[in-house]
Amino acid sequence: MALVGPPNSGKSTLFNSLTGLRQRVANYPGVTVERKSGVASVAVGLVEVTDLPGVHGLSPRSMDQMVTRDVLLGKLDGGKSPDAVILVLDATRLESHLMLAEPVLGLGLPTFVVLTMADELGRRDGALRASALSQELGVPAALVDARDDASLGPVRRFMEALHIGGDEVRSCPVGVFAGTSSGHGALGRPLPMVDIFAARREKAREIGLSSGFKPPRQSRLTRQLDAVFLHRVWGPLSFLAVVVVVFQSIFAGAVPLMDGVEALVAGSGEFLAATLPEGWFRSLLVDGVWAGVGSVVVFLPQILILFFFIAVMEDSGYMARAAVIADRLMHRVGLQGASFLPLLSAYACAIPAIMSARTVESERDRIATIFVAPFMTCSARLPVYALLIAAFIPEGPFLGPVLGQRAAVLLGLYALGLVAAVGTAALLKGTVLRGAPAPFVMELPPYRRPTVRSIAARLLGRTKVFLRRAGKIILAVTIVLWVMTQLPRTSDGEPPAIGDSALGRVGQVIEPAIEPLGFDWRIGIGLVTSLAAREVIVGTLGTIYGVENPDETAIELQDALRRDLDLGSAVALLVFFVFALQCMSTVAVMRRETGGWRWPALQFGYMLALAYAGAWAANQLL
Amino acid sequence: MLADVPLEEEVVLVRIDMAGDDLEPLLERGIVPGCKLCPVRHAPAGNPTVYLVDGALVALRKETASCLCVRSALEAAGVLDPN
Repeated sequence: MALVGPPNSGKSTLFNSLTGLRQRVANYPGVTVERKSGVASVAVGLVEVTDLPGVHGLSPRSMDQMVTRDVLLGKLDGGKSPDAVILVLDATRLESHLMLAEPVLGLGLPTFVVLTMADELGRRDGALRASALSQELGVPAALVDARDDASLGPVRRFMEALHIGGDEVRSCPVGVFAGTSSGHGALGRPLPMVDIFAARREKAREIGLSSGFKPPRQSRLTRQLDAVFLHRVWGPLSFLAVVVVVFQSIFAGAVPLMDGVEALVAGSGEFLAATLPEGWFRSLLVDGVWAGVGSVVVFLPQILILFFFIAVMEDSGYMARAAVIADRLMHRVGLQGASFLPLLSAYACAIPAIMSARTVESERDRIATIFVAPFMTCSARLPVYALLIAAFIPEGPFLGPVLGQRAAVLLGLYALGLVAAVGTAALLKGTVLRGAPAPFVMELPPYRRPTVRSIAARLLGRTKVFLRRAGKIILAVTIVLWVMTQLPRTSDGEPPAIGDSALGRVGQVIEPAIEPLGFDWRIGIGLVTSLAAREVIVGTLGTIYGVENPDETAIELQDALRRDLDLGSAVALLVFFVFALQCMSTVAVMRRETGGWRWPALQFGYMLALAYAGAWAANQLL
Repeated sequence: MLADVPLEEEVVLVRIDMAGDDLEPLLERGIVPGCKLCPVRHAPAGNPTVYLVDGALVALRKETASCLCVRSALEAAGVLDPN
């Protein structure tokens, strides 16, 4: 059974109410549209429910609409049409939402029309007779409140009937919309698109009229809140406050949780080390898998916090307002309002940023947002920056007592990433993603209280995606890197010194290539291992220089680096980390979100070229 | 043009001067000739503007609103003489 409906129609709320948290999220093959499915249990058995993306029509104008149409026509999902369709429409906006009824009912699948927001319709003095509407459309219909399980009786009965093949499930007559659905005028000539939609809208008005539809008055709460959130002064201020709270929570608030995860990973690693007999297997598990996967899992709290805020903002209706406020600024750099939050969150980690770019409706803008996100200084770069700055930049005032030299360099690195992002966005919009700007049509849904169930469902879904995607690739990368440190064995059968290992040789092989940047083979190894996650280079350099407990504050490690690098090559290394896409998890998530290897490959090459050129220039100049 | 309509003044959409594909997102949301539009609020930066249309709030940038040819709702209802 498939749920179809416009965005903000309460479709996902209904889906969550029907299936609980028993949901699976995956992509449709080859495209980036998410396939959300779950199982609803009704009195007579289980029914599989698919939540299709929110759409306004079934024309192939967007990926979402294309997938929805293909699923309904049985071209996807194993070549089978759903057994039935639940068309979810917002009762407070019946007439414009009914425009979707025509193409959906025109498919001739057994359909049940669920009219959501019954509570709001009543509260705002609107009216609608579901039975009359049902008669008009020729299919069963019910007015419900998707958050209230008790009001979902008719939907469940429909599903039960579907299960046992009862009378209630019947193919709907297409006659209701005859004459408007074909897109042909009386003489058989195709009608211009405007006329088709105007006719559809008129038909919807007539149906609304005969179903006793009385449009509700405007929501007073929404008017009042918009008077604040879109106010000339309070609007930007509250926007700024929200941004600060999100940023602060991701960085400061997540720290205890991240420490907790780190301790958990370290503790379980030590437990494994103590339990398992010494040998290659223990080394693989503890030094390879545990350390590597742990360095990525540690970002999970940040990701969850970010997605919590995104879920609250989206479900409450604030997200659309934030996009309206940020639009002017983002439009100027070639993006749009909805890109703002994903890019902001990229300062924590590019992975959730790329996943949350789904809130950007225009495909071109979404790709551009994904493409520039890794330029934002993510928190995995911080340990690398901290180590190199501490080793090479003397402490001292830069701008009086306010800004020290070290802080100034750190700020400069953040700024450099931002400049690269803006420049890249402009470059993309001028070349591969060129095209007239898509019209910005942003719906502002009425403010609503988010439900715990819907937020929990989203967090669960995002966590699974992150762990599956990032986990898989990190597991593979760490195992490969571990094996490369272990081979070839010395004559005693011991693991080799790191300089003699396969990994060391890779460092030596790439040394000629990175020599112009002022790097030797040791740094080369670090660059290779940091592909697992950027901050891994700190641990690797610690191993190479034989420093115990290496972290970014280790004095011995700083001394060792000062022996091997001069100021020029240290700055070159910093610049390299600003630009290079040293993160395979990001590449993996990008592949998922762009539906292929094309964009991640282009991205990796572009950022590597930029990093090389930037580092070379820095090494030459200093 | 819709972009020139002052806040709180209701207008009726007459024509959309826009090319094929870009039109659809507007049409699907009920922004079709004959529908009523009413600008309710500008974004703090002055652009985009939020319109009440077909029972929903929709934000449009100035460029888009400039493509929507409208006339006063009162005039459309015959209360005012167009001349």
